[in-house]
Amino acid sequence: MIMLDRSIIPIPTKELLFNIPEIKFLKLVNNIDISFVHKENLPIVYAEIIVFSGSRFDPADKKGLGYLTSLLIDEGAGEYDALQLSEEFEKLGSVFSVSADHDTIILSILSLTENFERSLELISKIALKPRFEEKDFQREKKKVLDRILQLKDEPSFIASSAFERRVFGDSYYGFPEIGFAESIARISNVDVKDFFARTFTSTNAKIVAVGNLNETEIIRLFNKYFNEWTSSSDNYQYFETPKRKATSFYFIHKSDSAQSEIRVGHISKKRNTNDFIPTRIMNTILGGQFSSRINSNLREKRGFTYGANSSFHYYKEAGLFEILTAVNIENTGEAIIEILKELNGIREYISDDEINFAKSYLIKQFPSRFETSNQIANNLESLLIHALPLEELINYTNKVKSVTNEEVKTSAINNVLPNELVIVAVGERKKVFEQLKKIPGAEPIELDLYGNLLT
Amino acid sequence: MNNLTNQLMTKNLLKIDYEKYSHPNGLQVILYPDLSIPVVAVNLWYRVGSANERNSKTGFAHLFEHMMFQGSQNVPKEGHFKFIQEAGGSLNGSTSFDRTNYYETVPANYLELALWLEADRMGFMLPGLNQEKLDNQKDVVMNERRQRYENQPYGLAWEKLFSNLFSQDHPYSWPTIGWMDDIAKFELDDVRKFFEKYYSPSNASLVIGGNFDKSNAKDLIEKYFGEIKETAAIPEIETSLQSLSESKKIIYEDNVQLPRIYLAWHTVKAFHEQDAVLDLLSDILTSSKNSRLHKSLVFEKQIAQDISSFQYSGNLDGSFIIASTAKPGITLEKIKDEITKSIHELISNGITENELLKAKNNIKSAYIFSLQKIDLITDHINHYNFYLNEPDSFLFDLSRYEQVTREQIIDTAQKFLTKPNVELNIIPKKM
Repeated sequence: MIMLDRSIIPIPTKELLFNIPEIKFLKLVNNIDISFVHKENLPIVYAEIIVFSGSRFDPADKKGLGYLTSLLIDEGAGEYDALQLSEEFEKLGSVFSVSADHDTIILSILSLTENFERSLELISKIALKPRFEEKDFQREKKKVLDRILQLKDEPSFIASSAFERRVFGDSYYGFPEIGFAESIARISNVDVKDFFARTFTSTNAKIVAVGNLNETEIIRLFNKYFNEWTSSSDNYQYFETPKRKATSFYFIHKSDSAQSEIRVGHISKKRNTNDFIPTRIMNTILGGQFSSRINSNLREKRGFTYGANSSFHYYKEAGLFEILTAVNIENTGEAIIEILKELNGIREYISDDEINFAKSYLIKQFPSRFETSNQIANNLESLLIHALPLEELINYTNKVKSVTNEEVKTSAINNVLPNELVIVAVGERKKVFEQLKKIPGAEPIELDLYGNLLT
Repeated sequence: MNNLTNQLMTKNLLKIDYEKYSHPNGLQVILYPDLSIPVVAVNLWYRVGSANERNSKTGFAHLFEHMMFQGSQNVPKEGHFKFIQEAGGSLNGSTSFDRTNYYETVPANYLELALWLEADRMGFMLPGLNQEKLDNQKDVVMNERRQRYENQPYGLAWEKLFSNLFSQDHPYSWPTIGWMDDIAKFELDDVRKFFEKYYSPSNASLVIGGNFDKSNAKDLIEKYFGEIKETAAIPEIETSLQSLSESKKIIYEDNVQLPRIYLAWHTVKAFHEQDAVLDLLSDILTSSKNSRLHKSLVFEKQIAQDISSFQYSGNLDGSFIIASTAKPGITLEKIKDEITKSIHELISNGITENELLKAKNNIKSAYIFSLQKIDLITDHINHYNFYLNEPDSFLFDLSRYEQVTREQIIDTAQKFLTKPNVELNIIPKKM
């Protein structure tokens, strides 16, 4: 028997063609935009109502108001109290959820097609007639306060929120959506009602729907249940872009830590920047996937961590470049030194092979971003949040292909700035602080759990 | 059967059109083409998990899973990730008490690449092995243990519970990630022996789902897996019958602000008659705002910050667990009393038809929603093949829930939740 030569790497003989599903841009009678994709394979409909509300509208002394409002909108609506409303969804087996971040509050529903109309009717009550009863307000407010207390136990949350506080300063992206104990204490149910009235308006809303219903039916159902939604408001909220400062090292003590949490990065460009795709290719090489430089170094070469990555995250008004990892205590200083080496390294040299790998990865994984209704909706959501044209999706693979190697290298120079970093480590002071001091150029500054300077 | 299940049957949504066969070397193959999607998923289960370990050698099945990504005769270290990602695919592996799985989802034209990679490590893993790789992955796994368990509030709860619920010689008594001291001690020889014993084609099942041609796939499987030799059959795991003669209470101090209580009872193994009943019971107790314990403790009395429960069942045994975090100023004793009262009330007064129907609907829709992803479907198929020896058990699985009556819920609660249990209190460290 002839043994197979297993050193030959199988290569596909044919190219695959992929077209994104057809996306319809429609309008309801009250002028709300709705993006719709018909998807047939399962009897499921997914829909979301994106409201440009969120914690960027929190008053300075009432951080957490937007988040608390998002918890309260489904605590009773129309003729149903909180338990009855939940009961109605439970009967249907529909998954209803509310999510809130700095830029949006999103109501989403995943439902069997046969239960979609009833699910939508219930959501319309939530969007249009939330009850905001005092007893529900008191309960949810207490829940948030106790959750804030619990977050003191979570090193990963402490590191991320302190990092964002240092990067974004006093601008609205510098504060955690959930708020602080003192700011929550100041919030009343009247504040919640006002916040809702001010931001949860039809001119502030967009709808995405994906699933097994036809276009006529989708439009008919949304018109039927949302035609009374005709409120308006101005969704603009001034954002003063904080200036980057010289690289600073920060440390937060958390007693008995079993590891150190590390965040490194800085503010970056908005999503509509014209080097978005070169930057994505560059970050794929730097820390955007498992075989990236940062993960290969910190995990596969040195064993300092279970995983390390870098990302460019896009808020509506600003970008955030962030390296995130958790490392063993003894190697905390060394891990930061290695991260800094990688940030300098990507500016100095990127090979053609690395660029070809990253392009191949981004192009060929593109179709898998359209497998579930939820994924399709996420792609549309991102277009809507950043006000991008459909071409972003249609021409995505061509654009990735046409990026030159020079553009990728230039993107590293322009978007990775080792001299303007915020570096945060959270861990056990007596084991970690000395290590930080030994990093060349580091003068670690201690912060409290919320990222404020310790005085 | 209600309307929904009828609809699913007529549309053939849950009837998978598969072909199953075994190679002469014992490898089980299950093929499930679905040409409506642009990708193909490869999902491989090995019948080995942490239950195959023994005391002082815990965590090895999982560490070994890591070693399977460190390269083999023709694949360099990290090569698995590199090749699959360059092809635009996604991949990973996971280890549980009972099994280890490896999976990749790739664009349809890359099926051969995925099979080449899986075959190279199934047949020829050892030539790629060296000390440096093992030392590196021991460090990575120790950091995984710190990140996922030791540095998380309440992160050690599960291992505290299971090591008290099961006797020390029972393989569910140690965590799949293993004890830190054991992970630190593993040597190359452990890797070699484990590979030779458990990573035989006769101990594995390969599912391919999605966009592929069946006869082409069969040729490729023959080409890459055909010449891999099987090794000796693995003896069944022998375990002693587990039961608690009296309740145990464990108190553990942790870096937490709020105390949390865990209650754990012995129940039944996966797919046992009462397994589905216990899933529904868990749903009725804690899955939604109106579920009994949530409504009472979190919503009305507001003595708990959260509450959850689950029936956790494996190949050898199972357990029912309730966990709840106390609000500031509330004792765990108080939480426990309320939970006990609620359970007794359910046993004496029963449940409503509406409660049962909601629980069934909830489980059914979650099930249908999960069918959106081919990687989950292929994993389901392997799951059914592993536990039931029948890949096409989607309808059977749903009907297990469909048939449960109110009386069964009450009888099952009575049978298990009134027996002795393990109570774990995780409390704030004293300053």
